[in-house]
Amino acid sequence: MIQGTGQSTLSPHSGAASTISSLWWVMLVGAAIVFTIVLALLFIGLLRRRSVGPGDRTRLRPGTTFVIALGVALPAVVIVCLFVLTVDALPKTSPNLTKGQLRIDVVGREWFWDVTYPSTGVRTANEIHIPVGVPVDIRVTSADVIHSLWVPELNRKIDTIPGRTNHVIFDARNAGIYRGQCAEFCGLQHAHMALYVVAQPRAEFDHWLALEAAAAPQPANADLERGQQILLGSDCEYCHRIAGTNATGTLGPDLTHIASRLSLAAATIPNSRGYLAGWILDPQNIKPGNKMPATNLSGPDLQALLDYLGSLR
Amino acid sequence: MAATNVERLQRAWAEPGPFVSAIATVDHKRIGIRYLITAAVFFVLGGLEALTLRTQLAGPNEQLLSPEAYNQLFSMHGITMIFLFVTPMLSGFGNYFVPLMIGARDMAFPRLNALSYWVFLGSGLFIYSSLLIGSAPDDGWFNYAPLSSMSHGANIDFYGLGLIFLGISSTAGAVNFIVTMIRLRAPGMSLNRMPLFCWAVLATSLSIVFAVPSLTADCLLLELSRKWGFHFFDSAHGGDALLWQHLFWIFGHPDVYIIFLPAVGIVSTIIPVFSQRPIVAHHLVVLATMATGFLGFGVWVHHMFAVGLPQVSMTFFAAASMVIAIPSGIQIFAWIATIIRGQPVLKTPFLFIVGFIVVFVIGGLSGVMFAVIPFDQQVTDSYFVVAHFHYVLFGGAVFPIFAAIYYWLPKITGRMLSERVGVWSFWLVFLGFNLAFFPMHISGLLGMPRRVYTYPDHMGWGLLNLLSTIGAFVLAFGILVIIANVVWSIARGAPAGDDPWGANTLEWATTSPPPNYNFATIPVVRSTDPNWDRAERTGDDQRLQAGELLLADGHETVETSEVEGVLERVLRMPEDSAWPLLLGGSLAVCFAGLIASSNLVAWFGVVFAALALAGWHFPLSLSEPVVMPDARPSGWWGMVLLIATEATLFAVLIATYYYLQFEAPRSWPPPGIGDPSMLKPFLATALIAASSIPIAIAVRAAGRSQLRTTSVALLLAALFGVAFLIFQHALVDSSLGSFGPRDNAYGSIYYTLIGLHAVHVAIGILLATWGALRVTRFDRAAAVTVRVTGLYWHFVNVVAVLIFLVLYVSPRG
Repeated sequence: MIQGTGQSTLSPHSGAASTISSLWWVMLVGAAIVFTIVLALLFIGLLRRRSVGPGDRTRLRPGTTFVIALGVALPAVVIVCLFVLTVDALPKTSPNLTKGQLRIDVVGREWFWDVTYPSTGVRTANEIHIPVGVPVDIRVTSADVIHSLWVPELNRKIDTIPGRTNHVIFDARNAGIYRGQCAEFCGLQHAHMALYVVAQPRAEFDHWLALEAAAAPQPANADLERGQQILLGSDCEYCHRIAGTNATGTLGPDLTHIASRLSLAAATIPNSRGYLAGWILDPQNIKPGNKMPATNLSGPDLQALLDYLGSLR
Repeated sequence: MAATNVERLQRAWAEPGPFVSAIATVDHKRIGIRYLITAAVFFVLGGLEALTLRTQLAGPNEQLLSPEAYNQLFSMHGITMIFLFVTPMLSGFGNYFVPLMIGARDMAFPRLNALSYWVFLGSGLFIYSSLLIGSAPDDGWFNYAPLSSMSHGANIDFYGLGLIFLGISSTAGAVNFIVTMIRLRAPGMSLNRMPLFCWAVLATSLSIVFAVPSLTADCLLLELSRKWGFHFFDSAHGGDALLWQHLFWIFGHPDVYIIFLPAVGIVSTIIPVFSQRPIVAHHLVVLATMATGFLGFGVWVHHMFAVGLPQVSMTFFAAASMVIAIPSGIQIFAWIATIIRGQPVLKTPFLFIVGFIVVFVIGGLSGVMFAVIPFDQQVTDSYFVVAHFHYVLFGGAVFPIFAAIYYWLPKITGRMLSERVGVWSFWLVFLGFNLAFFPMHISGLLGMPRRVYTYPDHMGWGLLNLLSTIGAFVLAFGILVIIANVVWSIARGAPAGDDPWGANTLEWATTSPPPNYNFATIPVVRSTDPNWDRAERTGDDQRLQAGELLLADGHETVETSEVEGVLERVLRMPEDSAWPLLLGGSLAVCFAGLIASSNLVAWFGVVFAALALAGWHFPLSLSEPVVMPDARPSGWWGMVLLIATEATLFAVLIATYYYLQFEAPRSWPPPGIGDPSMLKPFLATALIAASSIPIAIAVRAAGRSQLRTTSVALLLAALFGVAFLIFQHALVDSSLGSFGPRDNAYGSIYYTLIGLHAVHVAIGILLATWGALRVTRFDRAAAVTVRVTGLYWHFVNVVAVLIFLVLYVSPRG
C-alpha cells in the first residue's frame, strides 16, 4: 500500500529503536553461545560410550559440583549481563517528559487512532506527523478498551488504557513513513487498527500543521456544494467532524482534511476514490463489525459526496 | 499362604459391576485414566482449533474465518490447552502414578478425587457448550477487562463461570495430592526419598492452592460486574482496568509453572531410567523444583511491562524474573550430568526427553530475554512471544507428556507401544513443531502482532506464516501417529511385563496393569531408587508370605509420619460412592442456572449440592477408625490446606480493596458517602468472634469423648452465627440507603467482602449443626469432624475481624 513502510523491530529509525534492536543482536549472540554449550554437553553425553555395570549404578559419584558450576554459575553470569543491559537501555527507551518538545495526544478507539495536537487544536486520525530529530511526547489513553500503540521502528509499544494516561517518545532520526499497529487485543477488528507515523523535516512539518489547523475548505462549486449537503443531510455528521461545518460528531475519525491522508479505515485500505466509494457503501464488508453502517446512495449522490470528500485537503 | 492373602485382597478391593463402577468408582487408577482420556480429547479439540487458525493465517487476507469466528477459536484454543488439556493431563498421570510411586493404595481422599474428575468434566463440557451455541469466549484466555467486562452476550460468562467451576476441581485435586504425599508414603520413604515426579506434583499442588484463588476472585469480580452491575474494572465508576491484569497474572504466572513443573518431574523420572543411574544432585533438583514454584509468585508484573508502570517496580520484577534462570539451570545441568555419567539408551520415551531439552533450552533463552524490559516492551504481544511460549509450553510440557505416554502406557495397559513407529512419531513431532513455531520468532521481530485474524500482503509476513502452517500440519500428523500407536498397542502391543525399562520407582514393582489394591503388601523403602534395591523387593515377597503389611480388611493403606515416613497407623479408606458424581452434577446444575440467568435453577443446584454433601458425610456406610486426638490425620491436613486457599481468596479481595483505594482518583470512600458508624459493625464482629469460645469448648470436649457437651457447644456456636447473620443483614439494609454495590467501586468491594464472609459463616453454621447431630446420633469418630469444623470456624472469625479492621478502622482518604 504505502511502499517502503514496514514495522520491523530490526530496522530502527530512532535512538530508542536502535537501542532495542542492539539488545536483540547482543542477546541473540549470547543465546547462541549458551545453546551451543548445552547442546554440546548433551550430545557428548548421548554419544560417548561407557562401560558401567548395572551393579555400579548406585555408587556413581554424585556430580553435584558440575551442576552447581554450570547450573548456578552460568545462569548467574547471564543474569548479571542481562540486568546491566536492562538498566542501561531502560532510560533510552522510556519517556523522559522534560525532553519532549512537542506533545501529541493519541486516543485508542475501537478501531482507529484519534490524534490531536493540543498546541494547535489539529485533529486527525490514524496518522501522526512528527518533525524529524525532535523528541515528541506522545500522550496516550483510550476511550473504550485497552489498545497498545506500537510503531516498532520508532520505539517500544505503550498500552492505551481507559482512565489512565501513558507516554512514549517518538524521536525519528530519518524522514520517512513508519507503520504502526495496535498490539493489544481489542475485539473484532484488532487486526485492522494500524496507523502511519510520518516523520518530516521541520519546515515541511510546520507547513503540514498549518494546513491541518485551517478549517475545511469551503465547497468551490455547485457539485462540491451538493456533496457537502449530502454529507450534512445524512447520518454522517453524528459521528464525524468537519471543522467549519455543522458536522461535529466525535465517535468516528475527523474528516476535516481526509483527502490529505495516506489511508482509510485505520490503514486498512488506500485512500483512493474507488476504495472510499466502496467503504462508504459497505464498510461492513471491508472491516466487519466496525461502527459505521452501510449507506444507500444513488450513483450521482455518491459521486458528489466523493468529489466533496476529495476536496478536503 | 500368599495365594490366600492375595485372594483376601482381591475380595476387599473388588470393583462393583461395570455400571456401578462407571458412576461410583473411587479407584485412583480408573480416575487417572478418565483424566488422561478426557484431557486427550480436549487436546485434539484444541489442536483442531489451532489447525483452523493456522489455515486462516497461511497467507495474507485469507477469508476462511470471520473475525468473530477467529476470535472465538483462538480464545478456545488457549483456554482448552491451558485449562482443559495440560493441567488435567498431568493430573491424570499424577492420579495414576503418585499413589503407586509412593507405595500407597489410593489417594488420601478417594471420593474427593472422584469429585475432582467429575467437576473437571462438568466444567469442560460447560465451557465447550458455548461453542455449540456459537457464543464461545472471544477475548482470549487472558480475557482482559474492560473488553471482557463490558461486552454483551454469554460468551465471557462461559469463561468467568467456567473457570470458577473448574477451580473447584483443581483446588480439590491439589489438596488431595498434597495430603496423599505427606501422609500416605510407604514406610521408610522419608520426604528426601520421595520420587522427583512426586516432588514436582507437590510443588505444583502448592502453587495451585495459592494461585487459583486469585483467578477465582478475578472471575468473581468479573461476573459480579457483568451480571449484577458491580464496578471493579471501569474507570468511570472508580474501578481500574489493570486490576484484572494484576489478579490474572498473580494466578497466571504461577500457572505457567503449574503446567511446567509436573512435566519437569516426568523428565527427572525418565532420564535416570534411560541413563541407568540415579539422577545427579537429587537434592538440588528437589530444591530447584520447589524454588521455581515459589519464585513463580513474584514475577507476575513481567506480563505487564507495556502498561506504563513505574520503572522502579518494573526493574524489581525484571530482576525477580531473571532469578528463575537459576533453578532452571540447575535442573537442565542435573539432567545433562546424569546423561553424561550414565549409559543412555535411546528408546522413544528418552528421544522425546532429548527433544524436550533442545526445545526447552531455546524457549528458556528467549524467555529470559523478556526480563530485559525494553526488549519485552518491543516484542510482547507480537508473534515472538507466541513462539517463545510454545517453545516453553509445547516444548516444556507436551514433549514430556508424549514421553510419559511412551514410558507409562505399558504400565497402564500392560502392552508396549511400537518402537519403530515411536521413532517416526518423534521426528514428525520434533520437525513439525520447530517448523511451526521457529518462524514465529522472526515474524514477531518483523512486527506481526498476535491475535490478528488476518494481515496485509505488503508486510513480508506471508512466507513465514506459510511455513508455520505447513509445520502445524506436520506436527498434527506426528500426533496422529502417536494416537495410532497407542490404539495399536492396546489391541496388539507386545506384553510389557512388570518392569520393561528396568526403572527405579515403585510403580514398576507391581504388575502391569496393577491390581486394584496396587501392591499385595505395602512396600518398604530404603533409598531414592526403591525398585533398584533388590533386597527390599525380595523382602516384599517374603512379607506377603507372612501376611505382613497386608491390610486386607477393606480399603486399607498406611499413614506414615509427614517427614520421616515412619509407620503411624492403618488408614481405612472409603469405597465406591456415587455422591461425588451427584455433588458434581449439582454444581453443574448451579452453574447452568447462573449462565442461563435463572436463579431458580441455580438455587436448585445449591440445595442438591447440600443434600449430596450430607449424603457423602452420612457415616453409616463407613466405619471410620478411631483416631488419636493428638495425631494430625489426613482430614486435618485437608482442612488446613482448604483454609490456606480460602485465606488467599480473602487476602486477594482485601488487597483489591486497598488497590482500589490507592488508585481512587478522589476521596475514599467517594464523595457523598459518609464514614459508616463503627459501633454496630464492632458489636457484630464481637458477637461472631465470641462464638469461637463455644467452638473451642466443643473441640476440647470431642477430644475427651464428652459427646453431650460437644453437641451443645456446637449448637450454641451455630446460634451465635445465626444471630450474627441477622445483625449483618440489618446493617447492610441500613447502609444500602446511603450507597449500593452498583454505585461505585467502593460499594462494590464493600458488599463483596461482607457478602462472601456471610456465605462462609452460613457454611460454618451448617457444618456445626451437622457435627452436633453426628456426634449425638452416630459415632465417636466424629471427633475429627469436630476438630476440622473448629479450625474452619476460627478461620472464618479471623476473617471477620480482618474485614472489620479493613472496612471501618484502617485509614481512608
